[in-house]
Amino acid sequence: MSRDFASTKSNTRTSLPSTTESNVLGRGLRVRGRLSGGSDLRIEGEIEGDVNVGGALELASTASVTGNVIAKSVDIGGALTGDVQSDGAVVIRTGARVTGDMNGAEVALEEGAVFTGRIEADFELPDGLGGESAVGGRGKRAGASRGR
Amino acid sequence: MATVIGQDITIEGEITSDEAVVVAGTVRGKLNVDGPVTIEAGGVVEADVGASTLSVGGTVTGNVVASERVDLLAGGRLVGDVKAARLTIADGAVFKGNVDMDV
Repeated sequence: MSRDFASTKSNTRTSLPSTTESNVLGRGLRVRGRLSGGSDLRIEGEIEGDVNVGGALELASTASVTGNVIAKSVDIGGALTGDVQSDGAVVIRTGARVTGDMNGAEVALEEGAVFTGRIEADFELPDGLGGESAVGGRGKRAGASRGR
Repeated sequence: MATVIGQDITIEGEITSDEAVVVAGTVRGKLNVDGPVTIEAGGVVEADVGASTLSVGGTVTGNVVASERVDLLAGGRLVGDVKAARLTIADGAVFKGNVDMDV
């Protein structure tokens, strides 16, 4: 029985890479301009300009982005100067250097990340929880730590 | 990992790279690569292109300079001037422009 469970688990793991062809902007790449797309994108190089993708955006540790970012979810391991707008999770990893306002359904800041800016997470409070702040079913939390 | 600009990705602006670049999406502006560039079928490049080798299976509108070679594949479309020491144009490819083989 536990064997069955293990095999299902490994199956989900192998099927994780989603699209037919993954979009990668490699380490040696430099873009000065606008970038948009509908699917997932991994950036390892340097971007000067806005990035707008419909899928998950991953900034590798070698990545450097100067511009505003819109994506379904954002995973930051490198350098980002600009605001982030996301419907889903925003994760700022250990070693990341981020300056800007983070706006997502959930924002995670790992230990060892350097962050300057504002974190704003929109979330729905569950029924019967949160009392007054649940008026309209929507809560808003802003933790400002702007260092400039 | 080298760069893959996938089908639904659009980049408008200047791109430079010192690694291989594969374009299956859309690029407008400039594309300067110190390495091979592959434009796959369905890929659209409206830009001047500089590369070591350029392989065109998609559409390129713009001038091309390649330090080694340019291969225009069947189904590929290139409108623009080509400067390269070696050039092949496959049967079924579309080409309009001048060729300079630097002799």
